[in-house]
Amino acid sequence: MSRGRMLVMLLVTMAIAFGSLGSSLAVGWTPKLGLDLQGGFAVTLKAPEGADAEVLEVAVEIMRRRIENLGSVQEPEISVQGSDRILVQLPGVQDRQRALEAVGTTGILSFRPVIDRNFISPAFTDGTLEPPEELQPDDTTTTTGTPDEVSGSTTTTVDGATTTGAPDDSTTTTGVTTTTTGVTTTTTGATTTTTGATTTTAAPGDSTTTTAAPGDSTTTTTTVPAPPPENIDPDTGITIEDSPDLEAAYLAAEDGFIYKVGPAFLTGADITGADAGFIGGSLGGGSGWVVDPTFTGPGGDKFRDATALLSTYSTADPRRSMAIVVDGVVNSAPQVADDVAAGEGLEPDEVFITIGSSENAQAEAEDLATILRYGALPTVFERERVESVSATLGDDSLRAGLIAGIGGLALVALALVLYYRVLGLVAVVGLAVFGSLLLLMITLLSRYQGTTLTLAGVTGVIVSVGITSDSYIVFFERIKEEHRRGKALRPSVDTGFKRAFHTIITADTVTFAGSILLWLLAIGPVKGFAVTLGVATVVDVLVAYFYTRPAVTLLVRTGFGEGGAISMRGAMGRDRHSVTEATA
Amino acid sequence: MSVLGTLYRGETGYDFVGRRRTFFVISGVLIAISIISLATRKLDGSVDFTGGTIVEAPNEAGVTIGEVRSALSAIGEGGARVQLVGDNDDLILVQTRALSVQHQDELVSAVAAIAGASVDDTNVDAVGPTFGAEITRRAVEALVIFLGVVALFITWRFEWKMAMAAMAALFHDLLITAGFYSVVGFEVTPSTVIAVLTILGYSLYDTVVVFDKIIENARELANKQTYGEIANLSMNQVLMRSINTSLTTLLPIGSLLFVGSYALGADTLREFALALFVGVAAGTYSSIFIATPLLTLWKEREPQWRRMERRAERRVPELLEQAAVASPARQDVAVEPRSPAASGAVPRPPRQRKKRR
Repeated sequence: MSRGRMLVMLLVTMAIAFGSLGSSLAVGWTPKLGLDLQGGFAVTLKAPEGADAEVLEVAVEIMRRRIENLGSVQEPEISVQGSDRILVQLPGVQDRQRALEAVGTTGILSFRPVIDRNFISPAFTDGTLEPPEELQPDDTTTTTGTPDEVSGSTTTTVDGATTTGAPDDSTTTTGVTTTTTGVTTTTTGATTTTTGATTTTAAPGDSTTTTAAPGDSTTTTTTVPAPPPENIDPDTGITIEDSPDLEAAYLAAEDGFIYKVGPAFLTGADITGADAGFIGGSLGGGSGWVVDPTFTGPGGDKFRDATALLSTYSTADPRRSMAIVVDGVVNSAPQVADDVAAGEGLEPDEVFITIGSSENAQAEAEDLATILRYGALPTVFERERVESVSATLGDDSLRAGLIAGIGGLALVALALVLYYRVLGLVAVVGLAVFGSLLLLMITLLSRYQGTTLTLAGVTGVIVSVGITSDSYIVFFERIKEEHRRGKALRPSVDTGFKRAFHTIITADTVTFAGSILLWLLAIGPVKGFAVTLGVATVVDVLVAYFYTRPAVTLLVRTGFGEGGAISMRGAMGRDRHSVTEATA
Repeated sequence: MSVLGTLYRGETGYDFVGRRRTFFVISGVLIAISIISLATRKLDGSVDFTGGTIVEAPNEAGVTIGEVRSALSAIGEGGARVQLVGDNDDLILVQTRALSVQHQDELVSAVAAIAGASVDDTNVDAVGPTFGAEITRRAVEALVIFLGVVALFITWRFEWKMAMAAMAALFHDLLITAGFYSVVGFEVTPSTVIAVLTILGYSLYDTVVVFDKIIENARELANKQTYGEIANLSMNQVLMRSINTSLTTLLPIGSLLFVGSYALGADTLREFALALFVGVAAGTYSSIFIATPLLTLWKEREPQWRRMERRAERRVPELLEQAAVASPARQDVAVEPRSPAASGAVPRPPRQRKKRR
């Protein structure tokens, strides 16, 4: 790369780093501080009658999940207080009303028909769910997918453009089993127009999007309106909000499946409670842990109708299952037992959900019973108090942290300059570039994702600046080593960078992979940490490539390369280079 | 020529591999202490993990958080979470770990006294954990998967024995940090968890940098030196980098520790910094003194490297002679008389550098 381009790259990088941080500070964007540093507001919620300690735990988890969904990392603190209260503390949330709604209502419980079930394909991890290859839709069918698992039951229509039909409560025994015939029978233009509603799906075409499908034939125009696109996560195709009247695609809590489910048969209001218990072998199904739900009168009737419908499917068909959905997550999807004859509904008094007799069965049964009891709660928690709360640590801690951090970093700068001379200076400016970019990223994340900086986060940033200096040290030591082996300074810089960058990439990949995983899997404060770590890692690599390399490459060609005590050659170890020069 | 001078130029010939027994013993003792302490004393979770007591008192006297906290420090509850509630700070909220009945009464009267309120107006209730079982469970799950993926990555990028050695070093660091917490009796807070995760990342990063060097040297010197020599050479080459990096990492942490120890109300900061300090120090130590010697111990048994070793043994006297003649600059280099083959100080023969890829 020519000298001119190097110089441009260097200047552009520095301009971006300092300029954008400067302008973001100028318009008053600063990172949002966490509950411990800045305070926020506190809500005390009183649980409705009938909530026991376990149900409150479920409520806490659901509230946490919802708050994280508002903006991915808000780090709320939620705890159960006494026997029937929940104390929620939130850092300075922008949309207080939405936050209050998120914590003030219970999640909706619904029993829904399973339309289809897909294991999360590897594609899920990179954000897109592609339909299986052999079912790739052609141009006319791009907006809707076809289920990859087409059951052999009564095929009634030819409708390549739409997905399986949605079972409808009113048509309990007929017309539910609409299936597609796949791509081989491509639809006509007429089909596409009559099913216009289905083409509005915004999600990548796949079998798990919630396309509203006509009940049966292609001529029907009374389609359920498709949910608005913003209701669907564009990356995963998973429905975000839980609305019992609409078809939806939800992720299962445990087994890694995505369930496509129809409108609810019945909701939490239709049940009054549930218990877990152990039964002996009297029911013919062996002994094991079961959950015994109790229904309201109308709820029992709905359940009987629902199971009568489900039992028409074969036992190998996922549609024989009923998904229990809580707040947008499929908690479990028990299947109607195989000894229930087709079309026969289960009597609500005799319903057991069999969990099994494995080691975890007791815990699973108890969890499910708790979920059902939770779902049976009235949907509103009483708000006892909403107040602002102060920080737990306060200004003095933040100030102490910042003073310590700045002092520490000044020492780092001093050490680098003393040791590496002019190269150390490059590193110090580089750390400033890194710090600016990191702060900028955190500011942006805090603005658009609700990320908050806690004291742990602030110190994390300071420490990461220290760790980042490693990239420079690896590079500089590398240059020294190449030089000692007898290379002249300039080629030492070039090879040194190539090798050092290789090392940096490898080491940073490990850290980055870790931060992505933590971000995906962890919740609460750990998630916040993962964001800071991941951002720092990416910025580290970028700075090494776009700042350090041009800076050092240019430096070696100036007067700082060769002469004087502060020069690069000075930093190489003086009494040795006469020897290397001779052998070179 | 001074020791510093040789360090500066990366020419040290310290025999890391040959002294591995010493390092293993040191680490073994530290780990044993940690495990014993963890088993007997357990870790002391803060109110965020265990739940405890919440006390609410009307703030009649209009005190600040700092004042409440110093009043609490007097009865040994300086680690409590203190908040003021309401737009005019009209309520004091104190959360502590579960206390004995007697101590709880003491706490209530202390809070009431500083608030200028009567004990009757002060509410006491139990409070559950905020960093609940669910967060912990998810964090542990994430961690296990994380370690699995990292092990796979190192296996793919380097080799599986290195992955195992890196994991061993990681557990070494985690155990020692946890053990330190248990011995000192610090409260484990959510900040501590974050500190431990930082250490984990650092420890892995540091080990990968060292292994990267070994891989590179092994590729170049596979037919010339034993694995022990290559490992030694690599570590001597990266020694300066390791020292510098731990210095630049420990400087800001040390500064946090220092300021945290003297600044008021910065208890959290101090404990966080101390955990980081111990962890990062252990992380640097383990990459050089544990991960690599472990790896060498294992790799040396591979037939390919065994052959190399036998060949080296035959070659040693001749090489030593060469070293004395050709490189007077290396007079201070430590050559172990008992096992010269294990030293990294064997002079490198002049060679054409291969272009990599």
